[in-house]
Amino acid sequence: MDPSLYLDRDTWVHRLDPRTKMFLLLGMFALPFVFLNPLYVLGVLALVLYFGYLAESLVNLRRIWFILFMIIVVTPILWSIVGSGRTPLFLFVEREALLYGLSTAQRIVITVIAGMIFLSTTRNEEVAIGLVRLGIPYRFAFAVSTALRLVPTIVATGLTIGQAQRSRGLDLESGNIIQRIRKHLPLLVPVFVTTVRSTNVFSMALESKGFGARPGRTFYLHTAMGRRDALVLIAFVVLLAGCIALRVAGYGGLEGFTR
Amino acid sequence: MEPAVSFEGLAYRYRGQQKPALKGVDVEVAEGEFVVVMGPSGAGKSTLCVSLNGLIPHFFKGKMEGEVRVRGRSTREGKVGEFAQEVGLVFQDFEAQLFSTNVALEVAFGPENFAVEREEMVRRVESVLGQVRLEGFENRTPATLSGGQKQRLAIASVLAIEPRILCLDEPTTDLDPIGKLGIFEIAEDLKDRDDVTLIVVEHETEETLDADRIIVLREGEIVADRPAREVLRDVELLQESSVMPLQVTRYFHERGLWQGQLPLTPEEGVAEFKRRGWRVSPERHQKLVEADAKRKEGYGDSVIEVEGLTYRYPNGVVALEGVDLTVRRGEFLAVLGQNGSGKTTLVKHFNGLLKPTEGTVRVGGEETTKQGLRRLGQTVGYVFQNPDHQIFSDTVFDEVAFGPKIRGMEEDETKEQVEEALAAVSLQGRGDEDPFGLTKGERQRVAVASVLAVRPEVLILDEPTTGLDYAEQRSMMDLVKSLNEAGSTIIAVTHTMWVVAEYAHRAVVVRDGRVALQGTVREIFAEEDELRDASLRSPHIVSFGNALGYPVLSVEEMLKVTEEG
Repeated sequence: MDPSLYLDRDTWVHRLDPRTKMFLLLGMFALPFVFLNPLYVLGVLALVLYFGYLAESLVNLRRIWFILFMIIVVTPILWSIVGSGRTPLFLFVEREALLYGLSTAQRIVITVIAGMIFLSTTRNEEVAIGLVRLGIPYRFAFAVSTALRLVPTIVATGLTIGQAQRSRGLDLESGNIIQRIRKHLPLLVPVFVTTVRSTNVFSMALESKGFGARPGRTFYLHTAMGRRDALVLIAFVVLLAGCIALRVAGYGGLEGFTR
Repeated sequence: MEPAVSFEGLAYRYRGQQKPALKGVDVEVAEGEFVVVMGPSGAGKSTLCVSLNGLIPHFFKGKMEGEVRVRGRSTREGKVGEFAQEVGLVFQDFEAQLFSTNVALEVAFGPENFAVEREEMVRRVESVLGQVRLEGFENRTPATLSGGQKQRLAIASVLAIEPRILCLDEPTTDLDPIGKLGIFEIAEDLKDRDDVTLIVVEHETEETLDADRIIVLREGEIVADRPAREVLRDVELLQESSVMPLQVTRYFHERGLWQGQLPLTPEEGVAEFKRRGWRVSPERHQKLVEADAKRKEGYGDSVIEVEGLTYRYPNGVVALEGVDLTVRRGEFLAVLGQNGSGKTTLVKHFNGLLKPTEGTVRVGGEETTKQGLRRLGQTVGYVFQNPDHQIFSDTVFDEVAFGPKIRGMEEDETKEQVEEALAAVSLQGRGDEDPFGLTKGERQRVAVASVLAVRPEVLILDEPTTGLDYAEQRSMMDLVKSLNEAGSTIIAVTHTMWVVAEYAHRAVVVRDGRVALQGTVREIFAEEDELRDASLRSPHIVSFGNALGYPVLSVEEMLKVTEEG
């Protein structure tokens, strides 16, 4: 199984400059927080999903659906208990608290999906180039993209090691929480040892390929901000400004919610 | 002319180690030469490699004496990055070296570091991918490539920097026979170029025939540095250095030929055999075949039954299709196939790690889906390829005791079974040692012991000899053989062909998720063409026997059936 999220498709979203995609990602982190009303947040969610559809990236939802599902279930319950409002609904739950919970759940889901779309359409190398073009030193940019790469690698190693230990009779599913954590030792130690070992080879290989040998470097991937990037960015800024204006004008809020 | 590389009294001791890794190595490699370095595990071969581009002394902290000069310049005088343009280094662990999201970017990474212009980079990517025969793979993700392709990509990514010296550290260890051949075809092409110096660390003697020179290292010292064909004829030197001698050469050596006359390849062997008027005794050969048949009668009833097994990954890719197979008690079965053919997927069904998409797998008469992984583990033990994927305890004893303890066994009984398991792998009395301080061969044994400790009837071994030197491989397989003779059923997944020939009874060849061939090892190895289609090759002695019309499996068998005419 390929542990990376990136999908090698040729959509106009893929072709955007990595900097544009980074700005869009940041913007998508901000947009759902403009509104409190779950219906308005739902609009933002629909927008993100449509964008993901255009980017042909929604197949990756299959890989994270469980996390999203848990967020959608747990968050509203949590806020219904913790928050309070004016209109009683049933038992001790108030309408406003539930609605707020729904908004929050959607906000988290939006951020996760936006991140997913970003990783589905942007290569690690593009992340690095984008950061370099924004003035960040290459060493740091490379570290960021390596971290992105390392996560799936560790997950893959963990899966193999899990199989090895389960073959020896390790059962992770039973016992109380403390027992369960202790049971993970047979997984964590080999994952750690293997990761350190392969990271060591990795850094030797980097040095042996001249990493950091010269102050400057060139890039194989060709990136440039074009007309499409400008249009997308302008459209997004207009959208964000529009949403803020709506909210200031009194739409999309949630009256009567208190913590 | 100035040598490409010269080692002048190089000695090195890693920090925290008592013994030096290298002591007083003096050797010169001329430009354009192809040098192979051989020797037992821990002889200092990899240390030699990493001293070539300055990783020693700059990356590793330790004590270095003497000098390494690359085209006259001491490695002490510059950074690793500066030498990277002169010396390309490819490490054994190719998985850890590949990090880009597609093949072209992986190759371009080196030139990027040296600020090569984009047009030139595009040219180089195209050219080196051609050299390693990966044209058309530009947009593939490295993770989706086969082992051989990954290793070729690792080589391409270094070639793109256009170094004058290329060093490959055990490039073929994890590869199937045809994957190995692919690497050596590249080496051969490079050898023909006068401007590239090639230094290769290698275990497999069969692949070193084309080298100009072979250097044999033992305990940090050079014990031989002679033309390749001369070293390959020195059977005793190789055996003392834990290097497997060429089988045909050993056969003639045991028959008493003096060193200078020894043939190296099966073809040379057949010619020499005929010239001397020797022949194979049909009666004695018939006895070998009869012994195979007799062994077969000694097996018990079936312990694993596979019927119409199909396995599909969650993403829909078919890994196995319509596999039928029966394993009987007391058998020693080898599962063969190319990297990615589905052989590991098949055996993972035997201990319940994977559940069939279609068809059934029965262990001890009961379907695996009805038995839990833990209960199955009692019958079928599985030793994974990499011992570091399972070792986690502070002591060898605790590691081996993990299985019995987790099954709730009493302390006395656990102790007894652990002692027994450690004795079986010749690690008795070493229970208090730290498993991480052991050699790879010993860690492999700990992994086997930890599975043996629950006394399974069937033992699955995934690539039990990978990464071990010849002496370690022999002792590992002798251990497995003795377990088999004591009653264990053995299933070994491997692509080390001589191991299959000498140790296994029966073999299954998996190709593209189907069983392509199955039969006794003697029958399988007689089908050289079919084997080649499955990316496998017979060992030299088998090809030698086949060419004479009598399939034999080992040098010993060949010696047994030879008659003077």
